[in-house]
Amino acid sequence: MATEEEGPAAQTGRAVLSLATDVGGAAVLAARLARRMVPPRLDGPELWRNLYRMGVRSLPIVGVTALFTGGIMVIQAGVLIRRFGAEGLLGWGAGFTTLREVGPILIALMFSGRVGANNTAELATMTVTEQIDALETLAIDPLSYLILPRVLSMVVMLFVLTVYGDVLALLGAAFMGDALLGVSTATFWNGLLDAIRVWDLATGLIKSALFGGVIALSSSHYGLSVSGGAPGVGRAVNASVVASATGIFVCDYLATYILQ
Amino acid sequence: MIEVTNVWKRFAAPVLRDVTLRVPQGCLYGLIGPGAAGKSVLLKCLAGLLRPERGSVRIFGEAIESLDEVSLQAVRNRVGMLFQNNALFDHLTVAENIAFPLRRRGVTDEAEIAERVADRLRAVSLPGFEQRLPGGLSGGQKKRVGVARATVTRADVVLYDEPAAGLDPVTSQKIFDLLRREQQEAGATVVMVSSDIDRLLTVTDRVGMMLDGALIFDGTTAEAQGSLHPVVKQFVHGEVDGPL
Repeated sequence: MATEEEGPAAQTGRAVLSLATDVGGAAVLAARLARRMVPPRLDGPELWRNLYRMGVRSLPIVGVTALFTGGIMVIQAGVLIRRFGAEGLLGWGAGFTTLREVGPILIALMFSGRVGANNTAELATMTVTEQIDALETLAIDPLSYLILPRVLSMVVMLFVLTVYGDVLALLGAAFMGDALLGVSTATFWNGLLDAIRVWDLATGLIKSALFGGVIALSSSHYGLSVSGGAPGVGRAVNASVVASATGIFVCDYLATYILQ
Repeated sequence: MIEVTNVWKRFAAPVLRDVTLRVPQGCLYGLIGPGAAGKSVLLKCLAGLLRPERGSVRIFGEAIESLDEVSLQAVRNRVGMLFQNNALFDHLTVAENIAFPLRRRGVTDEAEIAERVADRLRAVSLPGFEQRLPGGLSGGQKKRVGVARATVTRADVVLYDEPAAGLDPVTSQKIFDLLRREQQEAGATVVMVSSDIDRLLTVTDRVGMMLDGALIFDGTTAEAQGSLHPVVKQFVHGEVDGPL
């Protein structure tokens, strides 16, 4: 904890050390999980349980977010579309933006808030109430039983939810294009399908898998490394959400640069 | 059965300092001492949850600090533990919590599992609680479910961290009597940490007292009660005046 006597250099050093500790902790966790993947050592029922509660139960919130995002994009672009008479480009614009950037990012942030935060809270509560220790004394490896199913579920379900969200966002955009700008659905879809490449879709889905990994590792790391009882759980959730969001944007920058 | 030799452990400061202790097979050993004396840390070292920086912890003749994960799991299969916070799994029912160690140790006969769960629940006076979730139980009920889970496999070594914390005096005595009965029936070696000295000493064979990470007394229950060591005497008899 920073003290009043500390100068800027000491505070910067402390922040860098803290960042290195967390990034290093998440990297070590990733390596330990990777070791359990060859050969796969994970709990099947736990995997199915997490796929359901992380994926299926996120459908409503992701659906609403995606639909409105698609509509909002059209509202924002409407003025320019009308001014330049570029109705034919609406499908391409909405599709390019949604598939490559807005869809993966927004759905990942929603997923982080709903699933990642919940994951950190659950694991942190289990840690401070000694449930993780209890698993170990029962000769159960917590990483195989508890963490690996959650990490895989988050990566897989964010990927699936991104596909689902992309479709709904485009439907929202097509609906608003018709209702607000008078762009017919056929014009919208023709513009979309003519100009959008498979790579545009693939770029977004690769990003979503990366974001899923970031959220899973970050939320699990903070949940497992919590200290300080109940107040520590709150701090861990807060740190996890901030770290996930930051990680998503850093990853997005790197992925966008590499996958151009 | 349990041998602790010159064990040192530190976090920010030393929490175990050169602890040496031997718990004979079939003994119920009480570990007492003021808060932050290192009792729970020692218990976690015995369970293999913490590894000492120096010294050795041997259970069943195995030095657990040097075991790999697979060998350590084999030792853990013969150890039961009750945690201070009970550590019940929130998403499992009472029956599932108690059955959890059985299933993990390969018991697949559902009728046998149900019978053993019901037997444990009768032993802790909670029959009919099978389908309740831990969130709907009182502190005392959670503690009793924790005891049921810790004893369901009839482990050779059982570790209890504050088994009666937060319980009323009558329930506390019932829990201590139950643990003693269980230990005698199973012939288990038990290490029990408790702040409830009066009741703890009614069931122990031997007692160790820790202070500031060091074991300052190790002897029979009678020796502890009659000890002239000023710290032990003050703590065991709950005297206000003294070195503590």
